[in-house]
Amino acid sequence: MKTKTFLPLFLAGLTIPAFADIDRTKKPEPDPAPAASFPDYRTETLPNGLKVFVIHDDRKPTVMFRLIIRSGSIADGSKMGAASFTASLLNRGTESRDAASFALETDSLGVKVEASSGPDSISVGASGLTKYTDKILDLFSDAVLHPAFAEGQFERIQRQTLSSLEAEKQQPSSLAEKLAGKVVFGSFPYGNYLTPEDVTGLKREDLVAFHHAQFLPNNASLAVVGDVKADEILPLIQKAFGSWQKGEVPALKLPELPKIKGLTIHLVDRPGSVQSNIIVLSDAPPRNNPDLPELNVVNATLGGGFSGRLFQNLREKHGWTYGSMSAFDYKKLAGDFEATAETRNEVTGPAVAEILKEIERIRTEPAKEEEIALQRQYNVGNYLLSLENTSRTAQRVQDIDLYGLPPDFYKTYAKRMSVVTPAQVEELAKKYLTATDVAIVVVGEAKEIKPELEKVGKVVVYDQELKPVTK
Amino acid sequence: MKLAPFVAILAALAVPLSVVAKDDPAAPRRITLKPIQFVEYDLANGLHVILHENHTSPVIATYVLYHVGSKNERADRTGFAHFFEHLMFEGSDNIPRGKIDKYISGAGGNLNASTSFDQTDYFFNLPSNELKLALWIESERMMHSKIDEVGVETQRKVVKEEKRMRYDNQPYGSLFEELSKLVFAGTPYAWVPIGSVQYIDQATIQEFRDFYKTYYLPNNATLAIAGDFDLEPTKKLVEEYFGPIPKGPDIKRPEFHVTDPTAPVTHDVAKPNTPLNATMHAWHAVEETNPDAYALQLLGDILSTGRSSRLYKRLVEKEQAALNVEAFPFLLENGGLLGVFATGQHGVALDQLDKLIDEEVEKLKADGVTAEEYRKALNQEEADFASGFGTMATRARNLARYHVFYGDTNLINTELDRYFAVKREDIQRVAKQYLGKEKMYTLRYPAAGAPATEAPAAK
Repeated sequence: MKTKTFLPLFLAGLTIPAFADIDRTKKPEPDPAPAASFPDYRTETLPNGLKVFVIHDDRKPTVMFRLIIRSGSIADGSKMGAASFTASLLNRGTESRDAASFALETDSLGVKVEASSGPDSISVGASGLTKYTDKILDLFSDAVLHPAFAEGQFERIQRQTLSSLEAEKQQPSSLAEKLAGKVVFGSFPYGNYLTPEDVTGLKREDLVAFHHAQFLPNNASLAVVGDVKADEILPLIQKAFGSWQKGEVPALKLPELPKIKGLTIHLVDRPGSVQSNIIVLSDAPPRNNPDLPELNVVNATLGGGFSGRLFQNLREKHGWTYGSMSAFDYKKLAGDFEATAETRNEVTGPAVAEILKEIERIRTEPAKEEEIALQRQYNVGNYLLSLENTSRTAQRVQDIDLYGLPPDFYKTYAKRMSVVTPAQVEELAKKYLTATDVAIVVVGEAKEIKPELEKVGKVVVYDQELKPVTK
Repeated sequence: MKLAPFVAILAALAVPLSVVAKDDPAAPRRITLKPIQFVEYDLANGLHVILHENHTSPVIATYVLYHVGSKNERADRTGFAHFFEHLMFEGSDNIPRGKIDKYISGAGGNLNASTSFDQTDYFFNLPSNELKLALWIESERMMHSKIDEVGVETQRKVVKEEKRMRYDNQPYGSLFEELSKLVFAGTPYAWVPIGSVQYIDQATIQEFRDFYKTYYLPNNATLAIAGDFDLEPTKKLVEEYFGPIPKGPDIKRPEFHVTDPTAPVTHDVAKPNTPLNATMHAWHAVEETNPDAYALQLLGDILSTGRSSRLYKRLVEKEQAALNVEAFPFLLENGGLLGVFATGQHGVALDQLDKLIDEEVEKLKADGVTAEEYRKALNQEEADFASGFGTMATRARNLARYHVFYGDTNLINTELDRYFAVKREDIQRVAKQYLGKEKMYTLRYPAAGAPATEAPAAK
């Protein structure tokens, strides 16, 4: 892979005079590119339907387990917050260990057992040193299978959540994200955010019911990453999770997904703001969209990194922001597109206009091959770099299962991104991006930024409770 | 897994044995890690080079550490080192303006940089066939970075937005700024790396060029490369790219010592966007290379790492007074501090938070820590250490840091021994020695609209 030309001539550690072997005036040419091959891993399905993936990584003497339940807040139904509270309580006591004992046992070994919930899934992770593998698996399976949902712990989380909600009213990014979900998804569950009323309305029994209905081995996958051998770890997993009974996953009853029509600016007035948080949003397809790898190149061109157009325009040309990026946020049943920037008050209106201009430009003006070549390579190379991270590999393997992606998705991923043409970029941008049917969320000092925003489009003002303000 | 009968017996034996061990913390044992191999040497111009060859993945991480940070700034030029970091992305004699990122992105990589009190670092992550690109760009920046008026004007605006985003527009965003001002008063640690923006406006182009000539020298830099490369050809390439950069004069390092206050200090920060009462208790502690640093880390773990820690159990779990609480040593090259920060639950008074933290700290000083707590903290450090150096980027960064600030690159393999060398009684000793009530700083963020105290202040 590397050039061997100089090896016979120069020996280790000698100070070598700087000959003109290199030409400083030109960018050096790369050696032949290494292949981005998705790592091998072992897949097994336990008799109860639990899918298990084992990914070997012997760089560290550690092991990580990651269980995905394929139900998240989308399965809350009328009990808003059920998924999130269920996740929060998993490591706060089991039928045989109270919260204090569970904390002491994990902390004592430097083991972490943590859970979190998202729109489509709950993730429970456990990690620690391989010398404690048995113990980690014991604590982990106990948290997953036998959580106590003790009343006292439930009330603590309720109280903490109410305080957190109070704090979030002052955090510009929290305000922006909550309102963004609402204006894109409306009453579809992806648009929900937790309110104090939801929190006080929840009962312990709601979590017990959620756990009972959704925590099923046939509604889950488990990845193991670390310095463990599949043949040794699989029997331990069978022992820990084998008794878990399969069941029928309840069907979801969902309203229709709304569509964004026209351009509306949703302005959250946060007095005292010295900067505005901007999110330009439009509808997007779900995660299993067949154009996803190619669409990555489109997004990278517009706003994927330091070399994206948004960053180059809003930061490097205008100096309006520290960063401006865009991304598709793909969920299981729908997605959205988000272009963001944080700008000082006086340039907020112009920054929104400039983001819209860049979205329109990628849809209508052909890009140069040179620019697309850079973005192809940026995507392919960074994908290759990401393969170094084995927990990321675990997440990808479980994503295939969670989102119903083709089994070879990551095997063909790099190759597909590597052949995208400028014509394809324009075609896909036309298909998936819009500068006219957009919802624009801005959090900032309304009295300073509203007049400029009104030049861009209709403005609806909200207070920090995210309630529309009527004048 | 089926256990052979005699293994099962051993396993059963292990239980009582470990119980015995728990009561006898005299000889804790630690895990044996696979050593991270490296070679290191100096070029004739003083550049220190550290190479970690590892072919696990076809990637390389390069990391250049300049031993200059905000503490090298003048008090009327704060934010200078960080601002300069932005300018290092502009270009060089051979790299046109704005091309550095395009070259790295176009090679399939990513890049970034950061500035702290003691250092400025630059890193690239690339597929391993692009090693030469990384060496070329970093050597160009070290040899003849280009600083022109256009770049300076744009980055002045960008850095102001960075400050607004990270500090001015966030609840508690000024916490570290206020904390440094208090604890490190009278030293160059009294200001944070982002600095004050007006000084960047006042600085001239010539000042930036002088800063570059003073600090961006091979004899003030360390280059670490980790990943998929072959050692000998890489040594040659490093020599070819970096060898011709002339050595500069020795760097004058600021000499100063952080001192204790003569009396306790309390400072309230009133901000309209503070949502919940929050308080910080802080004490001047030691520099990062002080032998007590490790006892202070373990003290921090015992106070707040995990839900079985003292402060969590008391403030969050038992009293339900705090939403979160964290004790953290923040140790730098020339001095440090230990802070305890708690955010109150909605409606909980600052005095209540202050009182609870006080009680827990005083209890630890009076009674010391239990054998169980001591062992637990060591185990937590062991787990963190073992999982800490997985990627090539983390290896390159830490190899360079251990060299520059500890003078011992091999600490990447051995630092855990220093934790295990701490004795249980050391933890109580450092608590008593450093966390004196009479020299405590209290920094409070009263929630907007809420009274700071329910009763007259206790202090």
